Amino acid sequence: MAQEKLGNPAVVGLGGFGLTTLVLQFHNVGWMPSVGPVVWLGLIFGGLAQMIAGLQEMKTGNNFGYCAFTGYGAFWIALALLFLGNHFEIFQASTTDIGWFLVAWTFFTAILWVGSLRIHGAMAFTFTTLLIGFILLDLAHFGFPELTVVAGYELMICAASAWYMMARIILNEIYGRELLPAGRPWIK
Amino acid sequence: MRNGLRALAAAAALMLAAPAAAQETPDSSSPSATVDEVIAKVLEAARFLHDKGQAGFSDFNNSARWVWKDSYVFVFSCLDDRMIAHPLRPDLVGRPILQMVDEQGNMLFEDLCAAGEAPDGGWVEYWWPRPGEARASRKISYTKSTPVSFQRDVRVAAGIYDDSMTVEELNERAERAVTPQKDAP
Repeated sequence: MAQEKLGNPAVVGLGGFGLTTLVLQFHNVGWMPSVGPVVWLGLIFGGLAQMIAGLQEMKTGNNFGYCAFTGYGAFWIALALLFLGNHFEIFQASTTDIGWFLVAWTFFTAILWVGSLRIHGAMAFTFTTLLIGFILLDLAHFGFPELTVVAGYELMICAASAWYMMARIILNEIYGRELLPAGRPWIK
Repeated sequence: MRNGLRALAAAAALMLAAPAAAQETPDSSSPSATVDEVIAKVLEAARFLHDKGQAGFSDFNNSARWVWKDSYVFVFSCLDDRMIAHPLRPDLVGRPILQMVDEQGNMLFEDLCAAGEAPDGGWVEYWWPRPGEARASRKISYTKSTPVSFQRDVRVAAGIYDDSMTVEELNERAERAVTPQKDAP
């Protein structure tokens, strides 16, 4: 019996990660005044959808995707709840508190970044820009608020490269050839 | 709810303390805001936004906490060129600010933006009507930047209407007000 063809959960995970990251940066660089869209997208596409994609990665045997998508899905849900909590005065987080929240996620990202270097070039590039973006946001919360804008543009590049990987999986399958290459791993 | 209780407690404390305060500081009964009040309110607003984040912006449009005597706290962003909140001029909220000129030709928000760059903030002199008046008076405002999560470049400011004080002496007083807080353990 032929094996049933399964979809790749990464396309949803990368889609939600990229889109929510991109919309937050629209806010961070000042184009989008409100943080409202980030809250709702963070709960649903970046949060719920990416987290489900992450949980589905378990069955594919991919620990990296399992941890990354579930982790960042949880990140977006937690961030959206942080905004909502501040709004409704439940467990209010100050700028410094959110700074420490981001520092913890920077360490988490650093571990995955080491792994990404051995996967392929596109993954290594995405995680390198993500790690730099987190570090810039950390600094923005501890005395260099002007770096929020720098982080904004930098993380737009990160979101685009996550979407590149999404496009790769979808388009290479549809076109039946290597339309978009992944690039060689940075560490062999 | 919690705010309501806090306000009630504050009101009760004020009522108890009012007779003593009136003796100690004759300023508190004057109809005009004082320099110390302006500095205290601006620092309080900076702290409030640091703690509360973007959810705190609307408070400045709605709450009586940021309006007192003939003064008030307003919130703006120089990088975004936008008035974020203003308790008395809802028509200015969300509008560009940097191109505004007072009747003496001062680019007042350009000056406010430059003064707020200093770590301890700074004072700026310009012409602006008192609340309820049409004609502009000389106003000197204290402005300071405050970090707010996921929002670049947030500035708070409040001012006094005064004909005699200079920006230099006011900067010294603001510096004295801010410095002890830094040295506190």
